[in-house]
Amino acid sequence: MNRFGRQVTLYVVSGLLVSVWAFPVLWAFLTSFKTERDVLAYPPMFFFTPTLSNYKEVLFGTSSILPNLWSSLVVTCSATFLTLCFAIPAAYSLARLRYPFRRSSGFYILATQMLPPVGLVIPYYLALQRFGWLDTYSGLVIIYLTFSLPFAIWLLVSYFEDIPYEMEEAALLDRAGRWRALWFIVLPQVGGGIAVTTVFVFLNAWNEFMFAVVLGGNRVRPVTVAMFNFISVEQTQWAKVAAGAMVAMAPVILLGLLAQRHIVKGLTVGAVKGGGRR
Amino acid sequence: MEDQEKRFALILFLPSFLLLLLITTAPLVFLAWNSLQKLDLGMPWISGFTGFGNYVKMGEDPRFWNSLSLTIIYTFSTVVLQILIGLSLALLVLKIPRGQAIMRIAAILPIVLAPVVVGLFWRTLVLAPDFGLVDLVTRALDLGNYNWLGDPQLALISVIAIHTWQWTPFAFLVLLATLATLPPDVFEAARLDRANAWQRFWHITLPLIRPAIVMVIILRTMTALSAFAAIFAATGGGPGTSTEILNLYAYRTSFTELNIGYGSALAMVLLGITMLVSWTLFRHRRKGST
Amino acid sequence: MDKNNLPNSPLNQPRREFIAKTTAFGIAAMGGASLSHPALAQASELAAYTSAKINWRQVQGESINLAVIPASYFDNLLGLLPQFEALTGIKVNAEKVPPGQIRQKAMLDLSSKTGTYATHAADPMYYPLYVANKWVEPLDKYLNDATLTDPGWFNYNDILKAWREADSVDGKPYGIPYDGEVTVQVYRKDLYAAKGLKPADTYEQLLSNAKALNDPANRLYGLAMRGFAGAGQNMYIYPSLFRGFGGNWFSGKDLVVNSAEAVSALDWYVGALSQFAPPAVRNWNWPDIADAFSQGTVACYLDAHSSAAVINNPEKSKVVGKIGYARWPRGPAGKRVTSIWNWGFPINAALSERAKKATWLFITWATSAETQARTSWKFEGPAKRSGVNRTSLWRSSEFANTMRGSGDNFIQAALESLDQDTDVDWRPRVPQWPAIGDTMATAIQSALVGQKKSKEALDEAQVRITQIMRG
Repeated sequence: MNRFGRQVTLYVVSGLLVSVWAFPVLWAFLTSFKTERDVLAYPPMFFFTPTLSNYKEVLFGTSSILPNLWSSLVVTCSATFLTLCFAIPAAYSLARLRYPFRRSSGFYILATQMLPPVGLVIPYYLALQRFGWLDTYSGLVIIYLTFSLPFAIWLLVSYFEDIPYEMEEAALLDRAGRWRALWFIVLPQVGGGIAVTTVFVFLNAWNEFMFAVVLGGNRVRPVTVAMFNFISVEQTQWAKVAAGAMVAMAPVILLGLLAQRHIVKGLTVGAVKGGGRR
Repeated sequence: MEDQEKRFALILFLPSFLLLLLITTAPLVFLAWNSLQKLDLGMPWISGFTGFGNYVKMGEDPRFWNSLSLTIIYTFSTVVLQILIGLSLALLVLKIPRGQAIMRIAAILPIVLAPVVVGLFWRTLVLAPDFGLVDLVTRALDLGNYNWLGDPQLALISVIAIHTWQWTPFAFLVLLATLATLPPDVFEAARLDRANAWQRFWHITLPLIRPAIVMVIILRTMTALSAFAAIFAATGGGPGTSTEILNLYAYRTSFTELNIGYGSALAMVLLGITMLVSWTLFRHRRKGST
Repeated sequence: MDKNNLPNSPLNQPRREFIAKTTAFGIAAMGGASLSHPALAQASELAAYTSAKINWRQVQGESINLAVIPASYFDNLLGLLPQFEALTGIKVNAEKVPPGQIRQKAMLDLSSKTGTYATHAADPMYYPLYVANKWVEPLDKYLNDATLTDPGWFNYNDILKAWREADSVDGKPYGIPYDGEVTVQVYRKDLYAAKGLKPADTYEQLLSNAKALNDPANRLYGLAMRGFAGAGQNMYIYPSLFRGFGGNWFSGKDLVVNSAEAVSALDWYVGALSQFAPPAVRNWNWPDIADAFSQGTVACYLDAHSSAAVINNPEKSKVVGKIGYARWPRGPAGKRVTSIWNWGFPINAALSERAKKATWLFITWATSAETQARTSWKFEGPAKRSGVNRTSLWRSSEFANTMRGSGDNFIQAALESLDQDTDVDWRPRVPQWPAIGDTMATAIQSALVGQKKSKEALDEAQVRITQIMRG
């Protein structure tokens, strides 16, 4: 096959794959503009009169998920911020400094990521209840830390490891002191890594479902739970579920699209970084 | 100097360490303790310490072995598929720099979605007989229609497909990024040596991107082992028990059957397996990296 | 879409979309009425309640939490909460929990004795479990307490007998039914008339009717019943079949699920669905069946009477005006067996005495004849409840008028089913029910999808259930 033919095939195959990845989301997007009646039409319709009523209902109706967007925002941002505050220093020390039991404590942190959430839900419920933290922001944020923190530490360690020692040593020789070395020399170098970590931590926290539904309640109710408002016992309003899901996922999709260059750039540093849950 | 370093290190490290100790070890101990008890909310009169009774019961429980084998099949297939597809795609796209931007955007979409939303979407919009996308396609191609989530074998294939769909883009993005950093002169030299495309790939490319592949395998394996929300939303473990991986079995036992003791034991076993697998993979990584 | 100009049959109006257009009512309903408008609840509105000879305000200032599922019949109630607050001075915080999680959440709360939810919409099959663990209060002491209940005004015995019994354990009530349903035959009277068919009287007739109308090539299937695995899904229809075949859950003290009748019932279920139902039915819950029926792809189904609201919704349904209802057909053992499902409210035993009283006042208010009426025909929105809890209401002319548009024979079929076809032993009432229900549901679905033969699936379920019962 000549070069042109090869190029064409490449484009075609790539196009096919793009559609496989993008299509379910696009289909949901389309569905969110259909009336409930059109959703059930057979064969499924590609062309129809669009309506904004689903979005109106989802955003402004009685089961509006706007308060839930806010809930999600507060919980996710707090969890992300706290995670970074704890994780950055911890990752730095794990990567660069020497202190007793460094190896084993590092492994311990890694191991905590493997605890199955299924087994943790009940103890968490009981613990939160004892402190009166059920259905509160503090309670949920602390629980989110349990999976965000180890993950963030582990991610950041690999970024810290990639900075050449010489940089810090130069700073230390300049009698800059360890804190200044950390703050002014090392941290700017891992700026990209911190950005990538932030993005992934945010994503994981935003998309959490099981803990949100069991440990949250009326006041603290992230969007992943609120979406199910439209799946009632009597009927499932598919168009509204689709609209609800679009609204719920809009922030993370936006984040992904904006940060994608960033993410990819970060991924090229040395061996691979990054990950996701479940 | 060393003492100073030690002090500095501990100041930075201890807060996180202590926090994690507090919020993960206590529940873990609780979980382990529960797994040694007979604790069934449906039968409060039988509660009591039972030592390894739950574990012994597990050995004789066919549903446990079923969930274990499903977990292995699920994890293995999704990870292998992700690597194969991701790598092939990355190699492909490498040659069409113009198409890369769109590919990256399309690739981001599945990764950022909440797994529970993914499971729900696939169940209702993609795989539903009559109304779903896949059905539309198979009918258009005259391949008939199938009950993807209602048939035991097809359901397993479907959930594997869902997971693969969601996470392959990750492997793709990572491998693409890694491939893009490979120095071109090595390939030139090989071409001059009259090595064909396959040989170039096998002997040069592959070893160079090996650390990346290994890392992807590790991460994706951990994700696959803890997969819950998507399968839960898509099939709930059914039909029957054909998609009931260990995670789901533990959930159903604890929360639907209310047998907390046995459910905790199942969760402990899952923990053990996860740790074993990660430990093995990590050892491999350390050995393999130059 | 504005539906204000439709003819005045409430069931002809779209449900949820309309609630959005209802005014302050709808807005105040959200989140348990954090803005309470005492001005809205005038004295005249409360007159129907204040006539009761109890002091509604005896625990004013209390605040209780309520957990319900998202459903229009609860939404209506939540919309009336401001009235309750004005009446009693008790604040009710309502939380909507997805139906898949509400039992677990309620149980987590009950078992840890945290007293978070004063009451919740309870699954009647869970009462034996609750009672065995002493998680809920026996309600007879509240019913008999003259300061809390005026028997003249709140007639407990007016509540449907089958539902009262379903919410009681060993003769003592532990929950008061709020909303319920019966399963009935729902069929396309036009299609049946065209072929000279009558609603089935026996299981054989049901199958022959289905066969006559089954036309997959033209996307018309003869029959549909729930297939989705779940204690409240396929294990909601199967027990009726089981009892219809003459099966008994208990043999002495042992729970037996693989008796000959059980296998016959399951075989029948599998056969009926494989031959005459859409292939997707194995994953269907009742909203899916109702949707299919309303799109005209199913000729007959057996399910809850409240599905009438969905199939009569002109927004989605193509079969409005073509619907008929009938009782369950007779099984080989000569019985017609319908469900006794209801959502009832219990009282959390971990509450303080004052909170328990407040909860009781809420429960009596919600299940009283007046509130039932206000959430049904007196409700301003389009979703008029059809699952009211009192015999007197079912027989009232207002109810008949409201339900008139649902289809032929609706009230009669439902009432007769409630009167004659209910069976308290319809499902085994044991504390281990959650595990048993789930095991049976899995077994039924394995048979339905052809993973196992009926006998094999039931034998396996039996082994597991014996283990569960033994602990």
